[in-house]
Amino acid sequence: MLARPKLILPLAAITAMLTALVAFAAPEQIVAASAPQATSAVPAAIAVKKSVSTADHSKFKELQKNFKTGPEVTEACLLCHTEAAKQVQHTKHWTWESKDPKTGQVRGKKNIINNYCTSPISNEKDCMACHAGYGWKDSTFDFSVEKNVDCLVCHDNTGTYRKLPGFAGHPVYERIEFPAKSGKFVEAVDLQKAAQSIGMPTRTNCGACHFFGAGANGAKHGDLDSSLQHPGKYLDVHMNEKGLNFSCTQCHATSSHEVSGSRYNTSAAMTGPAHIRGKADASPAACQSCHSDKPHSAKHALLNQHTDKLACQTCHIPEYARNDIGTELSWDWSKATTMGPDGKPFARKDSAGRRAFDSKKGEWVWESYVIPEYRWFNGTSTYKVIGDKIDPTHTVQLNVVGGGPNDPDSRIWPTKVHRGKQPYDVENKYLTVQHTAGEDDTALWHNYDWQKAIGTGMKAANLPYSGKYDFVNTELTWPITHMVAPKEDALSCVLCHSKNGRLKDIQGVYMPARDGKHWLDVIGWTLALLSLLASLIHGGIRIYSSKKEG
Amino acid sequence: MLKVIGGFFLGLIVLGVLAYSYAGSLMFREVESPFGVEETIARIQQNIQNTGNGWALSGLRNPGKAVEADGGNTLPVMMIEACSTKYSGPILKDDSVRFLSILMPCKISVYKKNDGKTYIGMMNAGLMGKMFGPMVGETMGHVAADQAKFIQFDPSKPAPAMIKGVPGAAAGGAGASAAGGC
Amino acid sequence: MAAEKIYVFKRFERFWHWSQALIIISMLITGFEVHGSYKLFGFEHAVGYHTVLAWSLVTLWIFAIFWHITTGEWKQYIPTTDKVVAIMRFYSVGIFKGEHHPYRPTQLKKHNPLQRIAYLGVLLLIGPLLWLTGWFYLFYGDWAAWGVSGFLSLEWVAFFHTVGAFLMLTFLISHIYLATTGHTPTAHIKAMITGWDEVD
Repeated sequence: MLARPKLILPLAAITAMLTALVAFAAPEQIVAASAPQATSAVPAAIAVKKSVSTADHSKFKELQKNFKTGPEVTEACLLCHTEAAKQVQHTKHWTWESKDPKTGQVRGKKNIINNYCTSPISNEKDCMACHAGYGWKDSTFDFSVEKNVDCLVCHDNTGTYRKLPGFAGHPVYERIEFPAKSGKFVEAVDLQKAAQSIGMPTRTNCGACHFFGAGANGAKHGDLDSSLQHPGKYLDVHMNEKGLNFSCTQCHATSSHEVSGSRYNTSAAMTGPAHIRGKADASPAACQSCHSDKPHSAKHALLNQHTDKLACQTCHIPEYARNDIGTELSWDWSKATTMGPDGKPFARKDSAGRRAFDSKKGEWVWESYVIPEYRWFNGTSTYKVIGDKIDPTHTVQLNVVGGGPNDPDSRIWPTKVHRGKQPYDVENKYLTVQHTAGEDDTALWHNYDWQKAIGTGMKAANLPYSGKYDFVNTELTWPITHMVAPKEDALSCVLCHSKNGRLKDIQGVYMPARDGKHWLDVIGWTLALLSLLASLIHGGIRIYSSKKEG
Repeated sequence: MLKVIGGFFLGLIVLGVLAYSYAGSLMFREVESPFGVEETIARIQQNIQNTGNGWALSGLRNPGKAVEADGGNTLPVMMIEACSTKYSGPILKDDSVRFLSILMPCKISVYKKNDGKTYIGMMNAGLMGKMFGPMVGETMGHVAADQAKFIQFDPSKPAPAMIKGVPGAAAGGAGASAAGGC
Repeated sequence: MAAEKIYVFKRFERFWHWSQALIIISMLITGFEVHGSYKLFGFEHAVGYHTVLAWSLVTLWIFAIFWHITTGEWKQYIPTTDKVVAIMRFYSVGIFKGEHHPYRPTQLKKHNPLQRIAYLGVLLLIGPLLWLTGWFYLFYGDWAAWGVSGFLSLEWVAFFHTVGAFLMLTFLISHIYLATTGHTPTAHIKAMITGWDEVD
């Protein structure tokens, strides 16, 4: 232990030098869909900030401008990238809408209700900080205006472009205290510098939204948080900064701005060999697209026999949120509006320093190193969309993960189940949309009045509201797919192959050591015991009678 | 007569085997915690500070971090280190038992298992102390009594914050460079 | 009374018997761990050992079948009802009175009729049951390629494999006990080791 720091310094120096050398010699940056090449094993982008693009955007005179707003930058981008905005406008990042090709159901953040912040409707000014566009502040937003596409949020490589809640998707144009009265300030973004430093999306770009969903680091996904910015090998064997150092787009290969791999349309059970370049690639984000459905060596052939029932993730992501950041396991909205002893709103943190209670939002439970819950999953989830009827006497499944043991396209997946308690309309029997964010009189976080907040939210969602609300338990199920551990840390056999193992609740599959007919065991052991008893009695009589005679 | 002696020795052997196989569980204890890892740690730390008798926190060690640095995974394991000079002093002053410093500081381990539950592991100080004479036996008896208080939780009280560093710069324990503590 | 010695078990036969005994006992131990009856080596190791043992047994059996065919020893297992009643009476009554076994083994007929039936049962029922189910168990991943996944389920393959294991265990216990029922408790066992049986 003592010797380690001494070793690390020279090692780090040598590594840095080598990296720099290799980076200078490195050929073209790999574009996402191509197979991993030697260069991807080198953290070139991090050690040396040298663009590998054939175009240096800082030399374009279209970008030598003192941009005032985001849309101005986009207009400049579109001068050359004529089709870019049109492409983006077809994607979920822009529409917040997704149609299930199998069921025809229209989902997407715009239409579903989750049990985190519930719905962006009537809260657009805050929520749209994560919209790849400018100005979506209410239902009047025009989705056809090309200059409102936000190029920089994904392509800024300076890491300085930041969008805050409250600005309907616009970045910070003027220095501002944020959060209000916190004494912390966010500097205005240098749009010119950002525009001149564009490149392929980095982890910072994707992470700005996907690491911080539900309003806190790691809160939403559990397998996505800021620890993936600089992960070690233990956390993610592919993104390991000192190893393969994959960016998000290495797996989420993108074509025409359409990012592959989405929980709305998961490739849950891909079969066949690894994909090769040039082949039509339906789901490049799946493990199998590089590893095939028989990834283990002949020595571990038995493991390949598991791929007809198990997703790769089930064994290779032993736990998620494997860091101190952790993830939210539940959000109880019914506790919101509870005031402190002094009648004023208050907040409380848990033992690890994570939000545990806030009068605005309710109560949370967090956990790190979470053991997943396992479900059969065929890649298709059916969601509760705004206005769908619910049965409040039971826990409402906000999404039902499709599939089952007899479906050949289903695999056992690790999932995060997020449990919530959230408002619903008692008479109309659907989940409510509430106006939470904002400074107006009806905003929940401003006035702590559920009735007003739901009233405004439902009006914005164009849904009748009976005026009576209550809280209902809900569950939201997320397939877990990031934070792939090194192979040595895959689940050992016995963790599932035992009576009370991880898959104890999974039905429809026979697992040695877990299953078997109890009555067969009773009969079998009785039979063996009887033959033993018979032998002992027979032998006893033999000894007895031989003594008597002898 | 032969049978009696034979039986006696057989009994001794059986006893030896039993002692050998149960020694581990006699020397150490494991109890399930009703809380998560962090909250269990925080509550134990708070209990230690409230116990008196000279008890102070001397560190919070995370052996899992070293494994992670080497590219491996473990479920969370955290060791709370605490000490009381009132109990360590007499033992450290006595040449014949000073080797027991190897047991210092007093450690309580909090960890998660594959069933998702949090467990608390600790040494059976009372029993272990009895092996090293009356003075150590008595001291460790007190330690054992205090240890029992460390893991008595009051769920009606809010979860305290986990204390990550060592309170007081001069305290001993993990990572402390200056002399001091236990 | 001068005992007559005959050479009943040939070298290969003895090797076959004892190595098979070792493999089967080991397979029972590891197999029931895989089944979840107890923890000994750990599931992963138990599966590994069980698989290696299975292939060892396959190899041994290839040699054994070859040996039985080429030497004609397979005829030793042709069932007969000759003296069956007398033998059953011996085991249930006569053995306690110090009577002699009514069957005298010869080189051509080394197994008594009860043994013949029992061993034939092991070879034709328990054995194939374990073999067949074990084979499908081992090659679970190839069911689709073999076109059998439609009418096989791992649950029932495992079930019958376990049935076979329990029957084998029961046979093993009785077999070991009956091995002590020679004219002295170790007579049969000695014969199986040296090949020479004392016929009085």
